[in-house]
Amino acid sequence: MDRGAEASAPPLRGPAYPLNVVGRNSTYVAGVMPAAALLALFFVGPALWALYSSLTNLALVGIDAANPRFVGIDNYTRLLADPDFWTVIRNSVTFVVGSAVIGQFGLGLGLALLIDHAEHRRWWLGTLAYGAVLLAWVNPTLIAGFLWVAMYDFFFGSLNHVFLSSLGASPVDWLGSFPMPAVIVANIWRGTAFTMIIFLGALKTIPPDIYEAARIDGANAWRRFWDHTLPSLRPIAALALLSITMSTFGTFIVIQTLTNGGPGINTEVIALYAFHTAFKSFSIGYGSAIAVVMLALNFAFAILYLRWSRARA
Amino acid sequence: MSTYSRRKFLKVAAATGLVVACAPAASPSASPSGAAPSQAKGLTGTITVSYPDELGVKPKYVDQAAQAVQTKNSGTTVKVDLQKISDDLYYPKLLLALQSGADVPDVFHFGGDSIGELADAGYIEPLDTYVNAWADWSQYPASIKQGATYKGHVWAIPYGMDTRWLYFRRDDLQKAGLAADWMPTKLADVVTAAAAVKSKEANVQPYALYAGAAASDGARDHAFVPLVWAYGGDVVTSDGKWVGNSAAIRKALTYYQTVYTQGLSPKEILTSTKPWTAMRAKLGDGSLALLFEGGWVYGGWASKDQAGTQKNVGYILHPTENGGPSFTIGGLGTCWYITAKSKNKDLAWEFIKTWNNKDTVAKINIEDPHPVARSDSADVAEFKAQQYLVDSTKSLEKAKFLPPDPNLSKITTAIQKATGRVANGDSSPDDAAKQYSADLKQAIGADKVIEQ
Amino acid sequence: MTTRAASRAARSTAAPRGASWVETVAAHLVFGVVVLFFLVPFLWLFTSAFDADAVAYIRLPAKPTLDNFVRIFTEHDFGRALVNSVFVAGSTMVLDVVAVSLAGYSLSRLDLRFKSWIMYAVLLLQTMPLSATMVPIYGLARALGLRNSYVGLILIHAAIELPFLIWLMKNFFDNVPRYLEEAAWLDGRSKLRALVEVVLPVARNGIGVVAGLSFLAAWAEVLMMIILIDSQDLKTVPLAFYETLRTQGGYTEVQYGLVAAMGVLYAVPVMAIFLATRRMMVRGLVASSRGL
Repeated sequence: MDRGAEASAPPLRGPAYPLNVVGRNSTYVAGVMPAAALLALFFVGPALWALYSSLTNLALVGIDAANPRFVGIDNYTRLLADPDFWTVIRNSVTFVVGSAVIGQFGLGLGLALLIDHAEHRRWWLGTLAYGAVLLAWVNPTLIAGFLWVAMYDFFFGSLNHVFLSSLGASPVDWLGSFPMPAVIVANIWRGTAFTMIIFLGALKTIPPDIYEAARIDGANAWRRFWDHTLPSLRPIAALALLSITMSTFGTFIVIQTLTNGGPGINTEVIALYAFHTAFKSFSIGYGSAIAVVMLALNFAFAILYLRWSRARA
Repeated sequence: MSTYSRRKFLKVAAATGLVVACAPAASPSASPSGAAPSQAKGLTGTITVSYPDELGVKPKYVDQAAQAVQTKNSGTTVKVDLQKISDDLYYPKLLLALQSGADVPDVFHFGGDSIGELADAGYIEPLDTYVNAWADWSQYPASIKQGATYKGHVWAIPYGMDTRWLYFRRDDLQKAGLAADWMPTKLADVVTAAAAVKSKEANVQPYALYAGAAASDGARDHAFVPLVWAYGGDVVTSDGKWVGNSAAIRKALTYYQTVYTQGLSPKEILTSTKPWTAMRAKLGDGSLALLFEGGWVYGGWASKDQAGTQKNVGYILHPTENGGPSFTIGGLGTCWYITAKSKNKDLAWEFIKTWNNKDTVAKINIEDPHPVARSDSADVAEFKAQQYLVDSTKSLEKAKFLPPDPNLSKITTAIQKATGRVANGDSSPDDAAKQYSADLKQAIGADKVIEQ
Repeated sequence: MTTRAASRAARSTAAPRGASWVETVAAHLVFGVVVLFFLVPFLWLFTSAFDADAVAYIRLPAKPTLDNFVRIFTEHDFGRALVNSVFVAGSTMVLDVVAVSLAGYSLSRLDLRFKSWIMYAVLLLQTMPLSATMVPIYGLARALGLRNSYVGLILIHAAIELPFLIWLMKNFFDNVPRYLEEAAWLDGRSKLRALVEVVLPVARNGIGVVAGLSFLAAWAEVLMMIILIDSQDLKTVPLAFYETLRTQGGYTEVQYGLVAAMGVLYAVPVMAIFLATRRMMVRGLVASSRGL
C-alpha cells in the first residue's frame, strides 16, 4: 500500500521545489546514504562474496584452505543429492509451521484477542499475561537458552527433577524422545510476543462502531469476530506471518543450545546446518551454498505471502 | 562451556600484536632447510602468544616463560594474550585469523589432534630444525615424537599427554557382590560387572558407553576405537587408510548392542548436551559404576574429595577380548605451535623452548594431572610423589595413538553415526558396520578406505 | 426482553455486556496457564541467583545469599562487562536511530518506480545467515582495522539490524501524512530541518521501536562479539558468561549461582525498559506494520 497516489498528485511544495525526478529525489538519496553504506559494506558485499564462495570448495582448515578450487555448482549438486539435506529441509518446515505459524502466530492472535477482551472487562490478569509474554521475548537469547536447558535437561532439569518427581512420575527424556516438540515449545515461548503486540495494537485501531452496528444487527460474538475482526486484521496478519516465518527460518541458537540438532539430525534445521557446516566442519564453500539455498527459500516464502496478501487486498 | 578434553584448549594470539622483526640479520625468518637458529643473544622483536584458558592453571606459567624470554633477550617483547573462552568457540576465531593471513599470532596453543588439518592448510611451521638443535628433545620418548610427526615433519610440542583409564567405583561393585580388588580378565567381564550392578542396585547407573553425535570425541576416543583395538583390529592402517569394515569393527558394534539392549548404559547419552559432564559427575559421586574416560578427570574428583576418591575410584587399563587390562588410548594433549606466517619464528621458538622446560612441564601436570611428555619431568620429586601421576605416566608405555589425520573430524562423524545407530537400536551391528564403511568412503574418498 | 435490549444498545458504544460467570472463570483459567507457561522458566534464574549452593533446577534457595552478586563483580569483572555492554548497545542504538530515521524517511518519500522491489531486496538480505558471511565480514573488519575495537563492533551490530528496521521505519513514515513537512517547506525550512523539527517528533513511537529493538539486538549479540573481540578490557556480558562456565580440575563445574546472578543483571534491565515503554512499542510496531 505504497503512497503512490499521493506522490503523483500535484504536490503542495514551495517555490524552489525542483520538478524533475533527480532533483526531487536528491535529498532523499543523500538521506539513504549512511544506511546504504553500512548495508553495502556489511551485507551486500559479504552476500556477494558468499555467493561466489559457494562455487568454490573453500575451507578454513585442511588442504582446501591452502588451495581452494573453483568447483562450479558442485556444492549444490552434492547438497541436493545428500539425503541428510532433505531431512534438514523437512525439519525446517516442521519447525516453521509448528513454531511460527501455529504457535507464535496462532497463539499471538489468540492472546491478543483475549487480552484485548480482558482490558475491556478490566481483568488485571490480562495485563500480567501481557507482561509475561513480553518478558519471554525480551530477555537475551543466551539467557533464554539457559532457562530452557534448565527446564528440559534429563538429569538436572526442573521438569524432571521438580515437577515430574513431585507428581511421582519417572523422568522423561524430553530432548531425546520429543526433540522437535521440545524446541518448538521453547521457540513459541520465545517468539509469541511479537505477533501478540502487533495484533493487540491492530485490534485497538478497529473502530468499535463496527461492533456496535453488528451487535444491533443481531450478530453474535462469533459472527462479529469472523466477519469484522478478522478481515480488519488481514493485512497486518499477512505481514506478521511473513515476518516471523522469515525470522523463524533463520533461528537456530535456541535449537543449538537445547539439542544441537540432535538426536542424530532430528532437529537439525537449515540455519543450524549452515552454522555447523561453517563452524564445525569449517567447509565455507559448502556452507555458503546452504546459505544461498536459505535465501532462495526465503525468497519463495516472500513471493507466496505477497501473492496471498495482494489477492485479498 | 568446555569440551570434554583439556587438550582442546586453544591458544590463539590476539590480532593486536603484530610481529615485526626489527633486526633481520639477527633473526632470519626460519625455513625448514635453513641454518641453525640464531643464538639467544641476537634475538629481538615482538611476538604475541595467545591462548584460551579455562582451568586457570596455565597463566602463571605462560607469564613466567614470557618474563624469562624477555629478561634473557633484552629488547624483545612477548605479548601474552589470555582469552577466557572455550576452545570450540576459539578454534573458529583462530582459523579466521590464520586464513586471513594478517594479524596472525606467532605462537598458539591447541590440541594435537589438529596437526594434520593445520599442516595441510599451511598454517603452521614445521619445527624440525628447531627440535633437532634442542638438547632437551632427547627427553621425549620416540612414541611421542612420532605422534607429533605428520608427513615427515614435527609440527607441535606437547607437554601434558592424554591418557585414559577404565574407572570403576569400588564401593558400587562391592555392593553388587564383586571382589574388592575386582580386575577383569577379559572384556566381557566389564559387561558382567555392569549387569551385576544393574541387578543389585537400582539407583546406580551401571555403565556409560559413549555413542552418537552428542558424545562428541568421546564416541571415538573413549569407546569405539579402544573397543576395536580390544578386539584385535585396527581403525587405520600404517599407510594411512581407514578401515571401513572388519571383524573387529563388527564385534565392537556388537558390544555396543549388548550393552545398550541390556540397558547398562543410559540412552540419554545420545541426546543430552555434553553428556560427559553428567557422566563424570556421576562417577565422582558414586551414582555411576563403570566409565572409560580421560585421565585428567581424576584430578577433578580428587580436588573435590581427595580421600573418597582415593578410596573408591579405581583405575585400570582397557581389557582386550581375551585378556586383562593391557592397553589404553593416548593423545598428544594440547601442544604449542608456531604459525607459518609468523614474522619472528626464532623468538617464537625461544618462547616455546623456555616454556617446555623440565620443571614447568612437571609442575603444570601436577596441578592439572596429566602424564608428562618429557621423561625427565617424570623424575621431578613432587611429580613422583603422586601415585596417580606415576601410574598415568606409566600407562603411556601401553598407550596407542591415533595418527594426526587431517580428515579426523569427518571420520569422527562417521563413528558417531555408526555407534549412535546401534545404541539407539536403529541398526544391527553388521548393517551399521556396512554403513560406516559407506559413510567413510563418502567423507574421505573411497581410495582412503579399505575393508578387512 | 425488548426493553432490555434497547436499554443495552442505548449505553455507550464501547461498553461490553457484563461477563457471565463461565466466561470469567474460563478466561482466567486460560490466562493462568499462559502466565505460568511464560513465567515459570524465569523462576530458576531468580532462585539460583540468590542461592550459594545453586543447582540446575528450580528450588527455594538452600543457602540464601547475596554473595553471588558480589562475587561476579569482584571475581569476574562483571562491572566492566556490564558497562561495556551498555556502551556498545547504546551506541548501536544511537547509530541505528540516526541511520534508520534518515533512510526510512528518505525511502518513504522517494519517488522511484522500483521502490517496493528495493524494499523487498533489502529485507531479504537480512535472511542471509551469519555463518556464511562471517568470513568476509571478518576479512573486512581486519582490513579496515575494526577488529578488537568498539568502533568495529558498533558498526557491524548497527549494520546487522538495518534491513528490518529500515523496513519498519519506512512503513511508519508512509503512514505519516506529508502535509506536516510540506508546511515546513513552505515556511522556508530545508528538508533536513523539516524532518528533524517537524516530522520526527510525530514519529516518536516508531523511533522508540527502532531504538528499543536495536538496543535489544546489540545487548543480546554473542557470536560477533566472540569473533571480533580479543581483549579482556573490551569484553561484554556474553563473554563474561563464558568465563563462569569454567573447567575446574578437568571437568566442568558450572557455577550455577554465578551464572544465574549474571543472568539476572543481564536480563532485568532490558526487561524493565521494555515493560516501561510497552505502549510506545505497541503503537510504533502497529504503525510500522501497515502496508506491505
